[in-house]
Amino acid sequence: MPKNTLKICIGTPCHLMGASELLESIAELDQSLRDKIDLKTSHCIDDCCEQAPVVEFNGKIYQDLNPEKLYKIIRNNIR
Amino acid sequence: MSRNTISEVIKLKRRLYIELLRLVKTGKLVEEISNLSQKMITKESPRYRCCEFKERAIFDQRIKAVMGFNIASNKDKSLEELAESLPRQEKKRNIVEVIDTACDSCPIDKYIVTDACRNCVAHKCVNACPVNAIVIIQNKAYIDQDKCVECGKCAGACSYNAILENQRPCSRACELDAISSDSNRQAKIDREKCVSCGSCITACPFGAITETGDLIQVALELFSEKNSLAAMLAPSFVGQFGYQQSPAKIKYALKKLGFEEVREVAAGAEITAAAESKELKEKIMEEKTLLSSCCPAFKRMVLNEFESLSCLISNTDSPMAVTAKKIKNENNKLKTIFIGPCTAKKEEALQNENVDYVITFEELLALFTAHNINLAAIEKGEKLEDAGVLGRQFAYAGGLQKSLQELVTDNYNSKQIDGLGRLKKELYLIKAKKNNYNFLEGMACVGGCIGGPSAMISEKAAKKLVQNFADSN
Ligand code: FES
Repeated sequence: MPKNTLKICIGTPCHLMGASELLESIAELDQSLRDKIDLKTSHCIDDCCEQAPVVEFNGKIYQDLNPEKLYKIIRNNIR
Repeated sequence: MSRNTISEVIKLKRRLYIELLRLVKTGKLVEEISNLSQKMITKESPRYRCCEFKERAIFDQRIKAVMGFNIASNKDKSLEELAESLPRQEKKRNIVEVIDTACDSCPIDKYIVTDACRNCVAHKCVNACPVNAIVIIQNKAYIDQDKCVECGKCAGACSYNAILENQRPCSRACELDAISSDSNRQAKIDREKCVSCGSCITACPFGAITETGDLIQVALELFSEKNSLAAMLAPSFVGQFGYQQSPAKIKYALKKLGFEEVREVAAGAEITAAAESKELKEKIMEEKTLLSSCCPAFKRMVLNEFESLSCLISNTDSPMAVTAKKIKNENNKLKTIFIGPCTAKKEEALQNENVDYVITFEELLALFTAHNINLAAIEKGEKLEDAGVLGRQFAYAGGLQKSLQELVTDNYNSKQIDGLGRLKKELYLIKAKKNNYNFLEGMACVGGCIGGPSAMISEKAAKKLVQNFADSN
């Protein structure tokens, strides 16, 4: 069972600022890492739309992301 | 053209769209527009130039372009003044434009001396330089970049090939050599060569090349002028508005935004394909070659550079033109807005009386965002079924060719090429009569329209989604 939950916001503001890139980057993640993550999508995360794109990783919200930043967050916080 | 990662420059441009649209929505565009750069560019924002003041000056130029004004010819006009004159449907303008102040001495040096410099006695480089920009320090040549005018004479003169030309991203991206630099080292667009494909806009890391757009005017038409508008969705629209957003939902959302009609341009594409198939049959009989005409950038390149081949271009109207004409025939009060991934369509629309405005997928997404319409949260939908597979597959490279193969069963050969550079080579072959086919499908963007400069998702993902949608009807 994956121990980590990644929620990527696919709301319109987040899509405009690159949510699809984040989704694609998850598909390219190392399989060993990918297996530990349960991937979900969300319509909007806590109304953070001004700082899009937004994800939630293991309960914590991260804003204004790009694939690089997201990789870092995953690597540093994975359980 | 492959999609670049969304850089800070792109994000800033998209935020600007949203802010401007919010001003339109609250009716404060004219009142607030001159404060926008101060509000959006602060000391903390990422910076590429010396100070936030210069950054703001550049931003103001960008605002003019977003409102649809050419920057150079409106240098002395204030933002308020320009905003006040909207909407005005200007058909005479350049689509792709350099923001002088942003490009002003591009930090990427064009000529550099490498370690291969032998400090020869002849110093041919020093002698070749017309502006004395080359100095010899410690046995090696150096280029004083403040003086250099990028003429390239030194590189040609050096016997050891020690001076390299470092192509700027914009001119490297332009497959038609339409970008050169002037004596101030600013990028200059050769209008005789430019086909408005948008490659340079995507390539410039500083956002110094931009397109003039219709977005703000469309918003004004929708919300202050209260005109009736028809949205025409390019065949490549499927999947561009977010993960798992169905065409039905997009139609519903567009209506919610205020569009009276929502149409698939793919329906026009079916008519285009049928007309083109007739032309093709004639060409097969005459043993000639037909060139496709639906990609305006490809068509423009043929007209610009291969005059003798212009008679081979199909006379059929493009899917956008057909769709707009049909809408106007049904109700000429409707204003038509093409929504696509393409900058060249903006150019095409300038010459077409039936197309009132063109906006891109990213511009429409900004419009949704500014109006708090979150497609992901919408549960409803409205069926979109104007077209079948023959029109819908125009969205990707090879689609038009496939449709014609269905429609024309005669024995003939055809070829499909995407990318302006490769197309140009092929046109030389046709000119020399060295081709053995009757039909050439030419798409300026690699991958076809789904690879366009304003595409929001990867080409691969888009192709799958378009195919699924095409097969569903
Ligand atoms: S839409 Fe992504 S945070 Fe609101």
